[in-house]
Amino acid sequence: MEKVKFSDQIIKDAQKIVEECMGKEDAFCQSACPMSTDAKGYVNLIAEKKYDEAIKLIREKLFLPNTLGRVCAHPCEKDCRREVDFNEPIAIAALKRFAAEKADDESIWDLTTGNDTGKKVAVVGAGPAGAQAAIDLRRNGHAVTIYDKLDVLGGMMRVGIPAYRLPRDIIDYEYSYLTKLGVEFKLGVEIGKDIKFSELRDQYDVVLLAHGAHKGNIIPIPGHKAEGVFPATEYLKEISLTGNFEKAGKKIMVIGGGDVAMDCARSSFRIGAEEVYQCSLEDNDNLPASHEEIHESLEEGVIFNAGWGPIEIIEQDGKVTGIKIQKVKSIFDDEGRFNPAYEAEEKIIDIDTVVMATGQVVEDITDGVLKQIRGGRYEVDKDTLETEIEDVFAAGDAAGSVIVIEAMALGRKAAISIDRYLKGINLRENRCFKEEWSYETKLDVPLPEDIEDEPRLHTNMRPADERKRDFNQADLGFSEEDAVKEASRCLECECKMCMKECIMMNDFCQCPKEIMEKLINGEDIEPLLAYSCNSCDNCTIVCPHELPMKKIFIGSRKDFVKANKGESPMKGHKAIKLHQLFGFSRLFTTKRKGGDK
Amino acid sequence: MSIVIDKSKRYGFMAGCSLPSYNPEITTKTTAYLNSVFPKFSAVQKCCGKPTKAVGQYDLFKERFKGLQDDMDEVGIEEMIVACQSCKLTFNEVSTTPTHSLWEVLPLIGLPEEVKNKGKDSEIVFTIHDSCSTRNDKKLQDGIRWILDELGYKYVESKLSRDKTRCCGFGGMVVPTNPEVAKKVMKRRVETLDSENIVVYCAACRSSILQGGAKSWHILDLVWGPVVNKNDNSPADVLASPLKSWINRYKAKKGINKTVK
Repeated sequence: MEKVKFSDQIIKDAQKIVEECMGKEDAFCQSACPMSTDAKGYVNLIAEKKYDEAIKLIREKLFLPNTLGRVCAHPCEKDCRREVDFNEPIAIAALKRFAAEKADDESIWDLTTGNDTGKKVAVVGAGPAGAQAAIDLRRNGHAVTIYDKLDVLGGMMRVGIPAYRLPRDIIDYEYSYLTKLGVEFKLGVEIGKDIKFSELRDQYDVVLLAHGAHKGNIIPIPGHKAEGVFPATEYLKEISLTGNFEKAGKKIMVIGGGDVAMDCARSSFRIGAEEVYQCSLEDNDNLPASHEEIHESLEEGVIFNAGWGPIEIIEQDGKVTGIKIQKVKSIFDDEGRFNPAYEAEEKIIDIDTVVMATGQVVEDITDGVLKQIRGGRYEVDKDTLETEIEDVFAAGDAAGSVIVIEAMALGRKAAISIDRYLKGINLRENRCFKEEWSYETKLDVPLPEDIEDEPRLHTNMRPADERKRDFNQADLGFSEEDAVKEASRCLECECKMCMKECIMMNDFCQCPKEIMEKLINGEDIEPLLAYSCNSCDNCTIVCPHELPMKKIFIGSRKDFVKANKGESPMKGHKAIKLHQLFGFSRLFTTKRKGGDK
Repeated sequence: MSIVIDKSKRYGFMAGCSLPSYNPEITTKTTAYLNSVFPKFSAVQKCCGKPTKAVGQYDLFKERFKGLQDDMDEVGIEEMIVACQSCKLTFNEVSTTPTHSLWEVLPLIGLPEEVKNKGKDSEIVFTIHDSCSTRNDKKLQDGIRWILDELGYKYVESKLSRDKTRCCGFGGMVVPTNPEVAKKVMKRRVETLDSENIVVYCAACRSSILQGGAKSWHILDLVWGPVVNKNDNSPADVLASPLKSWINRYKAKKGINKTVK
């Protein structure tokens, strides 16, 4: 047979399939993850009790599965189909922790590194961004030293997230991976103080700034300078390092509605507070904190005033004695600007301590060399994380991330740029930026038939009255039985509707896009594929985009015949040829005209 | 569009290929019945060329169909009736003669009195396998249900019926090309039907259903054949033997010649 020349219509239809087929689209959980973790993949391995494979899959992207299993703000769960349709997302994060506890083992850690490049990188900050960047750079053969002003590892995970949510031995264990890879640590060294930023630049080929946003924000309401007002960062840091906060009283008001506010409120009980309050501009339905954190805070007895804004801190003799809060009417004005408006209703709560969990800013360590923008973040190129100085990059909260997994993604992004910079490769060429962050998947499929709303299973929490008195882990995690059951609720979001319908396509591809990509790239499709189509159209009927697979398979036969001297290329069709000759022969045909009756 | 029967016109009938190859008797009886209903009636037997087209030989197909069109024109057919769904689609596409499915026509002209309610005492419960080529032709599918109702047989609708029907496995000339796939499709089709007693209106579908492991009757078996009871076996897979099929095709031709004079 000659080279087949497919007609324009076939190529046009194939093009449409390549553009619209969703067979290769990632599941919602995966595309929502800034690190593109294959959540669907490991959740289903857990459902099959293949824990070893699950942890390996997680570790392809994440070096701290147990940590993230406890503290990740899990954007994957927000996009989970069971959340979108039923408000009962798969407990993806908790399942990750389960897999880590069940099967993580140093023997499976990938310790391969590239050949030594002779290049040296200084990473400032031992938080998730710096650690992720260090890992990726080490794997590419560069020498990496991480500096941190703290004496401990983990950055904000260590001094921002309380120990009852993240036991410290887990951080140390998971960070031991970096040491095994050959990353060097210089802890207790503050850049800008112990070593000047310029000296660091002199000593290393590249400097990565990933030192987080550790400076708390105090809203300047009347009374904010009174004794007893603290930023959340200072509060959580001292509690993390010492298990106490010397200056705290017994009646604490936490201002803020996010996870940090919940951490402050819940930690307050653990250091001996008797009454803990919360207030925030956002009302109950719009609190930024995760459902779990809100639920657990309520269980522990935090008194919520969501939708009440702080107006004035009342002081006596320079010390906090109360706070006046007022009911919020709206947070943003008609033009969408932050401009809270209040109802007349107000109340005063007697307290002796105020903790402001109202944002954190990045402190400059470059002696003013780099420009800082909102929140103190360094001004960077969003795609590459390069700064105005070519050998200085930024990542993590210092470059705009808000949650741990985002910080890691920025760490990875910075590492890609730094590696290119060190190798003299253009930072932007042939690079898929989309894959370096969360993105919107094109997946758009109907909910499978017979799917019911099955409730999410919850992990085993210690009783609120017991757990609120210490810093031991509050959540004991999933039992194996519950983990498997919870993982089994996964809807395994994918398209592949045609593949479930058509038997024969499964012998040739994972999805039609695969075949059609070949076709438009000038490769032939197998004749057997085109001639195995039953022409039933069920593929198109079930396809959410009604893509024309049959039209291509059946239509291309004409082109195959043309390339094969007017005959079908299939041997089996010799029988058809004979049948057709008979079917038209005089022996078997007739034409009769009946008379008028 | 609804069909209007106009008996001043000359109607023509073609059973197709698989039906006469399967059963010349029911082919002849159908021809004879139509001949008795229409004052002006002609009949042809030939292939419409669909298989030629299906393998990709478009030029040859055009040539072959022209031969059939010439035959129809020669015997003066003004409106055509076909008993094969592939013929129906092929005619709609290329024939100059308006063409109707037998399954749409029968409800309009009615069934012979003697076959009405013949199945009313039978306990068999059928289900229908709709032909996938005419999955969107609701009128045609309604005609099959109408015939079963007229005959008095009980049937259940399968979930995957009408526009949701699946291929029997025979379509696209796959059997001679990829018999393993065809066999799998046949088995799966049978598994997705809600009774093991399956009524079809395509003789090739009937053969596939039998190969898929269920019992199957052509709707014309039920019209012209004996009353079918609960544990009866369905007729054998005649189409599996090429020799028997061609002998039958020849017999059908003879039957038509005898009937239409």
